Amino acid sequence: MRASLFITCYNDTLFPQTGRAVVRLLERLGVDLDFLPAQTCCGQMHANTGFRGEAYSQAKRFVQLYRDTECVVIPSSSCVAMIRDQYAGLFEELGNEGLRSQFAALLPRVFELSEFLTDKLGVDDVGAHFPHRVAYHASCHGLRGLHLGERPFRLLSRVRGLKLIPVANLDRCCGFGGTFSVKNAEVSTAMLDAKLVDLLATDAEYCTALDNSCLMHVGGGLHRRNLNMKPIHLAEILASTEGPAG
Amino acid sequence: MTNSRQAIFDNVRAATKADVDRYEDIPRNYIRAGGLDSQGRIHLMTERLHEYGADVVECSSADIRQTIFRQLHLGKKHQIVIPAGLLPAWLDSGANWLVDQNLTHEQIEACDGVLTASSAGVADSGTIVLHHGAEEGQRVISLLPDFHLCVLRASQIVETLPEYFSRFPEPPRLATYISGPSATADIEMTRIKGVHGPRFLSVIIVRDDF
Amino acid sequence: MSGPVMDPRLAPPFPQAALPILQNTQLRKNVAHATDVIQTKRNRLVAEKQDWQQLRSAAAAIRAHVLANLAHYLEEFEKNCTAAGGVVHWARDAAEARQIIIDILREEKATEVIKIKTMTSAEIQLNPSLEKAGISAVETDLAELILQLGDDEPSHIVVPALHVNRQQVREIFARRMSLPQLPDDPEALAAAARTYLRKKFLSVPTAISGANFLIAENGSVAIVESEGNGRMCLTLPRTLITLAGIEKVLPRFSDLEVLLQVLARSATGERLNPYNSLWSGVVPGDGPQKFHVVLLDNGRSEILGRKVERQTLQCIRCAACLNTCPVYRQTGGHAYGSPYAGPIGAILTPQLEHMQHAQSLPYASSLCAACYEVCPVKINIPEVLIDLRAKVVDQEREEASRWTDPMYMGMKAANFVFGSASRFRLAQRFGKLGLRFFTDKDGWIRKLPSLGARWTLSRDLPGMPDQTFRDWWAEREARGGKEAR
Repeated sequence: MRASLFITCYNDTLFPQTGRAVVRLLERLGVDLDFLPAQTCCGQMHANTGFRGEAYSQAKRFVQLYRDTECVVIPSSSCVAMIRDQYAGLFEELGNEGLRSQFAALLPRVFELSEFLTDKLGVDDVGAHFPHRVAYHASCHGLRGLHLGERPFRLLSRVRGLKLIPVANLDRCCGFGGTFSVKNAEVSTAMLDAKLVDLLATDAEYCTALDNSCLMHVGGGLHRRNLNMKPIHLAEILASTEGPAG
Repeated sequence: MTNSRQAIFDNVRAATKADVDRYEDIPRNYIRAGGLDSQGRIHLMTERLHEYGADVVECSSADIRQTIFRQLHLGKKHQIVIPAGLLPAWLDSGANWLVDQNLTHEQIEACDGVLTASSAGVADSGTIVLHHGAEEGQRVISLLPDFHLCVLRASQIVETLPEYFSRFPEPPRLATYISGPSATADIEMTRIKGVHGPRFLSVIIVRDDF
Repeated sequence: MSGPVMDPRLAPPFPQAALPILQNTQLRKNVAHATDVIQTKRNRLVAEKQDWQQLRSAAAAIRAHVLANLAHYLEEFEKNCTAAGGVVHWARDAAEARQIIIDILREEKATEVIKIKTMTSAEIQLNPSLEKAGISAVETDLAELILQLGDDEPSHIVVPALHVNRQQVREIFARRMSLPQLPDDPEALAAAARTYLRKKFLSVPTAISGANFLIAENGSVAIVESEGNGRMCLTLPRTLITLAGIEKVLPRFSDLEVLLQVLARSATGERLNPYNSLWSGVVPGDGPQKFHVVLLDNGRSEILGRKVERQTLQCIRCAACLNTCPVYRQTGGHAYGSPYAGPIGAILTPQLEHMQHAQSLPYASSLCAACYEVCPVKINIPEVLIDLRAKVVDQEREEASRWTDPMYMGMKAANFVFGSASRFRLAQRFGKLGLRFFTDKDGWIRKLPSLGARWTLSRDLPGMPDQTFRDWWAEREARGGKEAR
């Protein structure tokens, strides 16, 4: 099984440990993984803030770069949602027939990480060991955009030693929302506070999710308030074979 | 004003110029008819009516008059306004009936209650349907008094809302669907009955299905 | 205290408007409580409804079909309503609608008018202009009455006074109804309103209503309510004026079998609302003998013509999107500066203003899509929000002020950087260098300048790691790739 890793612009820059964990995990599962260095960004930030022409140029780069790849794995559900929900519209409006058909051919080969594991590799048990109390945060894009459903839970349930504690109001947004977190910083903070109440009620050691975007916001809030819970991307839990992720 | 009408139509037509969208293509895979039999429908209707605090009794076709009288007496309702077209056989001489023939609002307001027939019942939502014909009367008589006694035949009860609509392919000129006593939740979401409209609803289900 | 500003042309931008409300713990508690109650009821009844998704599909399709054939259905409604004895008027904008209504009221020599709650009348700012014309408008919905007597503004489409608690209501009624001994339990308050309004219902000969639906097939109007004040206003007066947006039409009477089911469950968590009233024109011997319908465009035909935005007009004003919105939960309705708040308000308000005002509203969302999930007519609100944001940015592209807007310039710079991997790597190196200044000894960033300060308002940021992922990968490749561990 060959796959190409699209690390995402923010993981590359701020959360390389997630990328390293994805590599460790997928290679352990026998995937022949490559990384195309020409990659930059999927265009989500620009598209969602209203910079459509700019988003289009990034989308075009992405499609041209991965045109001939067997499949693309992305450890970020919001980036996959961008590709699935908005790329077609961008190419329809700003692109040409060639690009549209290139994208249509590529789309079924793009996977979010948990989808890649459960659907493409067909595994729930990835041989992970993470003996800690963990709360799972369901990122909105993964939940409602990608309909990931039970996938992350199935993967977490097979992690040895892991105790998953349910979170109240699981499907309520944490308040990150991309540039919303900055343009509407006060409201974003109020939403963050509400999410922290629900997370802290679990008394978990770690808060995990499929998106470092949410975790950056939640984790940044936890750290500011001197709270003990630590953010960790699901990939790092799944990559872990002894104790906390490296 | 004709200019406004023309301007609006021009804008609307320009905005929808290229659209092709047929009424027949609307997907209607929702539940049309229910699966309950008559007894089941009556049971469900009664359950829903009870849920929202309405009083329900059953009677046979032969017992309508006594049952009406009993329900009025039970509620200690003295002067009852009635539509002009109600069956005389329903009206026990022991009660004080006021027939609505050009009554003023004040006269109706002064009544203790109102008695009407109905046009349909929808069991799923416990809805009483009035089309305000001769046996149901003008809308104000079932609105102003505090007590509404309503006679509903078992044969008039359908299970689902779509069934009601298929029973009446000719739309009624007037309709009131009653699915609960007047209520509000505007103060701290606490449900309070009876802001306006009758606070007490009593339903007689006539077993004309035997 | 002046009330919140609900005129989109005057209201402060959303982030600013939200600030005082975020400090108001009581209001936020009320909003959270109210929306929780409705959502719980709604979810229970939706779970019970086996064909909920099929009803949603049908409802969305019916509404989309109407919009695609709007001219036809408006014509049909006008013809049938007129034949039934109604008088149909057409208003291009808010000013025209106000004038038509005032002219009718003047003809009736009305000095007072009773009103059923209608968001459309708030949209056209009817009440203040009635006051100017010497006509007093009495709101008869309990919530609208509370707001009117309290000099307040609605904060929710279906439960407009949800931000007011019982003590506050008691205080308003005691003062305005001269009832100093009034207790604060909801029953007593409702009883006070009942007595106060009864007098009005029985004496005021003119009423104004909105419409939930207009039925083209027979020219009838449908109104859905809980309290009974609607039935009072629709049957007791001599003259009735119904104000409705042109998008409110449904093709046939039987289409109500779908719309009523989804509306009630979504709006109040009931199978059907306590009272649904339908009437066609004028019926001799029953109700008002003079009936006028004022059909309002006010920007709707413009929205109709836009491919992505048209779905905005499918809205049936159930407010399920408000109840589920995590942003609305924190701010309530007043922050939106419009009678239409929450997710639907964020897309409808700026469009009714032809994108000249309320441009901050499309950004008042984290794009979580909870609204789309619950919308009974499947409006893809996030899709419309994103499209409106593109329109706002396109406006910005023409403005000189963009050169000094850190967000705009940041976006342009980021796009430039994302255009090539070597530029991106360079930016990563510069970023690391630059952020070093702001990174504390423990590796965390606690305070950033400019836009970054908005982040560090309430969150720390981990300092940039020593090595980016791509550098780590390149190094690993240089050492022999996968085999080099």
